[in-house]
Amino acid sequence: MLQGIFLGLMGLSLVTGWARGQTDQVVSAMLAGAREGVETAFAAAGGFAFFCGLIEILRQAGAVRGLARRSAPFLQRLMGPSLPQDALEPITVNLTGNLLGLGNAATPAGIEAARRMARGDTATPALCLFLVINSSSVQLLPTTVVALRAAAGSSSPGAVVLPTLLATAVSTAVGILSCKLWEKLS
Amino acid sequence: MSWALPLFILLCLLAGALRRAPVYDAFLVGAKEGLNTAKAILPALIAMLCAIRGFEASGLMDGLCRLCAPALQFFRIPEETLPLMLMRPLSGSGALAMLKALLTAQGPDSRAGLVGSVMMGSSETVFYTCAVYLSAAQVKKSRYAVPCALLAWLAGSIAAGLLVP
Repeated sequence: MLQGIFLGLMGLSLVTGWARGQTDQVVSAMLAGAREGVETAFAAAGGFAFFCGLIEILRQAGAVRGLARRSAPFLQRLMGPSLPQDALEPITVNLTGNLLGLGNAATPAGIEAARRMARGDTATPALCLFLVINSSSVQLLPTTVVALRAAAGSSSPGAVVLPTLLATAVSTAVGILSCKLWEKLS
Repeated sequence: MSWALPLFILLCLLAGALRRAPVYDAFLVGAKEGLNTAKAILPALIAMLCAIRGFEASGLMDGLCRLCAPALQFFRIPEETLPLMLMRPLSGSGALAMLKALLTAQGPDSRAGLVGSVMMGSSETVFYTCAVYLSAAQVKKSRYAVPCALLAWLAGSIAAGLLVP
């Protein structure tokens, strides 16, 4: 899937750029993208290290295990029998971080969860569902958007909070339902 | 929200101190893991951003917007928010830049400004999330994860158009 998307985007861009006589711009944009990827990862590294450090303190204090135990029945019901027990802790950390809008805290735990859910090189139903939930946003408060709106001089920056929560609920619900349906049909 | 982060940090430190966890050593263990994460996501991040920036520069992004506009007007999605909607699953920083531009051009309290704001929050960066998680977990067969995630993004965007009066 990702291979197809990568091939399609790169190939189409090159061909279109060539047809419009803008190959140079396309290639330099690709190179700029590569540089941007390195910059993004380096910029995120400090945040990853910081939050992972804090979460490891919580984990060693036993707080994560408690939270994971409490969310286990819900997660098992949601994600089905292909969910391995040892993925419960990182999933709980990931979802809590995402709910609170702490992306840098959620990503490392999410990757750990994905590693534990994968079976060889194939995604399990639980992993597919986990990816879809992570892609569809479960953030409770869109803090970045509200701050941007305030900065742009909005008379009520928070007016979007409730519609955003509803739209997020719709997207997450559609994601979960489509996963379940696809699983059943395949 | 400015109190949330200091409170979280304090909570971690307090929990560690109260339960007599080796706070400093634990932080170092976690920090190392965090740095490894950054390393693990690098290749996928570079590949995705190459493809997306090339796609933009070739003019195909604009073409796609023009192509989709009539269909999406049916769902009361304003034309001005289309570039943002299409950018949302591809690049988080790109979508944020587009939202900024949209809020400046149309005004944050205009209908387009409101729909765009809701769109931004209704979905995550689908390709980034999927590419990064899958490559770090060395999963090649992602099965239905990406199409279902895109379906969720589409539903969220349509909901944004319908929910804003």
